[in-house]
Amino acid sequence: MKTVGEILILGIGNYLMGDEGVGVHLANRMEKAVLPAGVDVLDGGTGGFHLLEYFEDYACVILVDATLDGREPGTIRLIKPRFAADFPPAMSTHDIGLKDLVSALQLLGRMPEIDLFVVSIASVQQQGIVLTAEIEGVMPLLIEKVKELVLKNQAATSIDKAGGVKLVSVTL
Amino acid sequence: MSKRIVVDPVTRIEGHLRIEADIENGKVTDAYSSGTMVRLLEEILRGRDPRDAWAFVGRVCGVCTSIHSLTSARCVEDALDIVIPPNAELVRNIMFCTSYMHDHVVHFYHLHAMDWVDIMNALKADPKKTSELAQSISKWSKSSPGYFSDIQNRIKKFASSGQLGIFSNGYWGHSAYKLPAELNLIGLAHYLEALEWQKEIVKIHAIFGGKNPHPNYLVGGMACAINLDDVSGINAERLAYVGQLLQQGKEFVEQVYIPDLMAIASFYKDWGSIGGGLGNYLVYGDLPVNGYRDISAYKFQGGAILNKDLSRIHEVDLKKDDEVQEFITHSWYEYEEGNDKGLHPWKGESKVKYTGPKPPFANLETDQKYSYLKTPRWKGNAMEVGPLARVLVGYGRGREDFKEVVDKALKDLNVPVDALFSTLGRTAARGLESQLTAQWGLDFYDQLLTNIKNGDTRMADMSKFDPATWPKSAFGVGHTEAPRGALAHWINIKDEKIANYQLVVPTTWNASPRDHKGQKSAYEASLIDTPVADETQPLEILRTLHSFDPCMACSVHLYDEKGNTISKVSVLGD
Repeated sequence: MKTVGEILILGIGNYLMGDEGVGVHLANRMEKAVLPAGVDVLDGGTGGFHLLEYFEDYACVILVDATLDGREPGTIRLIKPRFAADFPPAMSTHDIGLKDLVSALQLLGRMPEIDLFVVSIASVQQQGIVLTAEIEGVMPLLIEKVKELVLKNQAATSIDKAGGVKLVSVTL
Repeated sequence: MSKRIVVDPVTRIEGHLRIEADIENGKVTDAYSSGTMVRLLEEILRGRDPRDAWAFVGRVCGVCTSIHSLTSARCVEDALDIVIPPNAELVRNIMFCTSYMHDHVVHFYHLHAMDWVDIMNALKADPKKTSELAQSISKWSKSSPGYFSDIQNRIKKFASSGQLGIFSNGYWGHSAYKLPAELNLIGLAHYLEALEWQKEIVKIHAIFGGKNPHPNYLVGGMACAINLDDVSGINAERLAYVGQLLQQGKEFVEQVYIPDLMAIASFYKDWGSIGGGLGNYLVYGDLPVNGYRDISAYKFQGGAILNKDLSRIHEVDLKKDDEVQEFITHSWYEYEEGNDKGLHPWKGESKVKYTGPKPPFANLETDQKYSYLKTPRWKGNAMEVGPLARVLVGYGRGREDFKEVVDKALKDLNVPVDALFSTLGRTAARGLESQLTAQWGLDFYDQLLTNIKNGDTRMADMSKFDPATWPKSAFGVGHTEAPRGALAHWINIKDEKIANYQLVVPTTWNASPRDHKGQKSAYEASLIDTPVADETQPLEILRTLHSFDPCMACSVHLYDEKGNTISKVSVLGD
């Protein structure tokens, strides 16, 4: 089946709801980019618990999602969430599923290293598969930031080459 | 004095849902259900290639992604008169059965069980007694005293870290919880086991659909080539893996889910007379065994039940102009020909016109328009869709497989058939049909293997894939039974493009506002007379709402008559 990788770039969101789907747009674009070996990209769509296996299979997960936090649309922030409560409010079309997922990972003792890029958007009410100019405008920067973090994480990640991937887990 | 409670779920998987309920003398006297988010998928699809529609509709919901794609492929195939090969039908059926097991188990343990299981009370259980109880209800191997005390220790540590996470928002200690501590502990242990299990079973979707979430479908069949010796296609190794996963799925359903469901239900038999609601049930049917067009040979047969009369199952025709119609009397839309007319989905219109109060507001104007959901009706009747409808139609039609599981459950619980028309019946029906689909999945798998061994590896009929072969205009309807109920897409193809596309989803049937005659839909009707012991913790309302599997968790706001927020109570991870 699937091989276990080092770093997963996981874009999530609802592709049908404009800027809300920024994570999916990012995944689609990065799938075409040249990335170092051991780095995978996944369009996680609106999957909640469906994504559990991916969190377990990678030492590092770089999440990219939209947030409705009242900041200037297009603001990119990098968060290091440790608990479900650390996720920003009203994130994406699946805040329940994702927060539950993170709680579940903690409960099971399987939290990978998670880095979360959130992109502030103005609204989730708009319908459509095209990003607004504000969000489209920051996509190159977002891709650049994700790539930078990939390289940084690759250098720092605790991969035991002989014994496969060593999960950086939170012990209960 | 009557008080209005507002239950306003926050998840946006399939649109927000808000419930306003009036409570008097400890019971719900009236209820209003409102979809507070507009979803205009119809507008996104117009003008697109109908062969791509499945990929867009698969995105509409994160929980049942594949079932919308299946429905879409079927409506295009219906319009273009395409008959898919038997193997494609079998693969679709296997994916369908996989969805059922996954969705229903996740719903039971992760979205609904905590309405019945008091997680904090589980910490008081005696592991030895828990082990004895577990072994008395199932042969599931993880049942030693050590196993259960380990679980308790994990949760205690988790709780003492100050991060209760998933469990932080329950109404623990509520007087409506009735289970002994030992059964609560079993529920908690299986909550964790189900988390592990669910990530395995969905791998079937990745194998046949190329990826998960949002697996691939194909108009004309399925996109997975069968080649037993090829490393990249569906080969012998992958097929064997599918068989193994289906077998494990069946074991989990039979040895964990069903015994837990029955044990828990035995303490809540009073819920066999609460939450019944409409008494009208609608099923479109699914799981073809002799091709999609032979509806008489479906595993889930279609049909309608009116006024709980199981002796008469009415036939349903989705193409008839006067059967399925959508009304907008209380919905924020406008129709060209007026507010009170019902439209068949082929003539459906989706012009939004919001006329509600400007947010933030205390209460909706429930005497006027109050929802973004339209109100579907079958021959003018409000209908409930979902597991209970399917089980009742199968039972009412006298099908042996349905009778076997239903009669056994009624006997084990020692309750009459009438107890099915309830919140408990809805929750039990979900388990019973999981039992059926677990077996059917294996049956379909065996047939697929037999076909392949006989040399039939056809997976798609591409003879009408080229738009040059299409008529200038075509109408189609595709139906499925999504885990939470009857689902259909209606399409009109004109000059090779989508001219109109209408989805009527299960949540719309169940959660819609009143119709032009003032008739309540399923959620609104089922909440009437629901007891509410503590208005600040309306656990009982959530039990009934969650029994429908509304695909969303809830945040509950309580208002007094002046509309001030007295308290805010969140459920399931706000």
